[in-house]
Amino acid sequence: MRRALRFFPILLMVLLAGPRPGVAADPNANPKRIDILYKISDHHYLDFKPIGKVELPRILRVDGAWVFYPSTTAALNSGDGWTDAWYLAHPDTVIYKADGTTIAPVSYDLVKADGSTAEFDFSITSHLAWFAFAGVLVLVLFGRLASKYDRSRKDGLVPRGTFMNIFESLVIFVRDDIAKANIGEEKYLKYTPYLLSAFFMILFMNLFGLAPWGVTSTSDIMVTAVLALFTFFITQKAGTKDYWMHVLAMPGVPKFMLVILTPVEILGLFTKPFALTVRLFANMASGKMLVYSILGMIFLFADMFGDWVGIGSAAIWIPFTLFIYAIKIFASFLQAYIFTMFSALFIGLAAADHSHDHEHGHAH
Amino acid sequence: MEYAYLAAGLGAGLAMIGAAIGIGMIGKSAMEGTARQPEASGDIRTSMIISAGLIEGATFFALAICILLALK
Repeated sequence: MRRALRFFPILLMVLLAGPRPGVAADPNANPKRIDILYKISDHHYLDFKPIGKVELPRILRVDGAWVFYPSTTAALNSGDGWTDAWYLAHPDTVIYKADGTTIAPVSYDLVKADGSTAEFDFSITSHLAWFAFAGVLVLVLFGRLASKYDRSRKDGLVPRGTFMNIFESLVIFVRDDIAKANIGEEKYLKYTPYLLSAFFMILFMNLFGLAPWGVTSTSDIMVTAVLALFTFFITQKAGTKDYWMHVLAMPGVPKFMLVILTPVEILGLFTKPFALTVRLFANMASGKMLVYSILGMIFLFADMFGDWVGIGSAAIWIPFTLFIYAIKIFASFLQAYIFTMFSALFIGLAAADHSHDHEHGHAH
Repeated sequence: MEYAYLAAGLGAGLAMIGAAIGIGMIGKSAMEGTARQPEASGDIRTSMIISAGLIEGATFFALAICILLALK
């Protein structure tokens, strides 16, 4: 039971991240244009480019009832009457080929014939699917790792093989250099499971975006917001009486200053997770945009100076892209580290026992 | 309408100048500190990353406003 509880944060994260309306693309977009923001936004399908697309289930709430379709195509083909069926909100984004078949539309927003939309669109989207995949991967990998350590208990917990060695170094790093260093000797073990879950979930999601067909879930502000929300709640839960006293009525400050200080401190409670959200989101989204922007230079050059200049300039832009890729691998680890470390820092500040600090205060 | 793009571009550039000066100063002090006390390099690196992260966070607020201007 205790082991099951240890994985509880991951399960909650998977359940809470994301159901939300899909992102609408610009219906007037030129199909030849590379729409970078569309590339990094959330979709109702998983794109396996030369092979095809896998449409993800649609879960909609219509007139107070839940409707489930296994895919967008199923939703479009559903309904027994003209007024009952679903239609694409932007049918002009469907691109028709010469033989009459269609390329999948740019926007998967659904409307009824009378123009009404679903009250809620809880559809599973690509970011959510990859987020859940990261959660499952963390559960499976670390479940196996834990059982391996259980078995090696009699040989003194010595890691054996590549798998155990890779993850042991990372786990020990998170435990000692992030949790213990920022939270303190007495309390760090209580928060290490959350920090480990957050670290590996973020790391996996960041790295998925670098794999072929992969989607960076962390380049979605909703995913990072949910992760930061966990840090926020755990921080408040960890808060000692001392912490709340510092927030609501800072000791040792003139009474009239509290009028300014208390609102600022309360605001500070919310800006911390907000900064966590935006930092991770902006880093991962901008990295992805940068890759597309630099690759897009090839097409920009081809458009401006002719095809052969474009092809020739690829010799410059592809090494550039590879360089950005290398930086992104580093940034994947760095951002996971920074998110976890700031979480640990906030929890540590809230959970810290300030009694010895006051003695310093009296000394000078 | 075009001025929004101009404002977004200028804003992004100015925010970057500020962040670059800030992070550059952190890097300078961290390198000086490490050169003076190589045994404290681990602690210095951690505090360096924390300060750089805080500056980065503030910069991203500015950049988010620039993106909002450009996408308006």
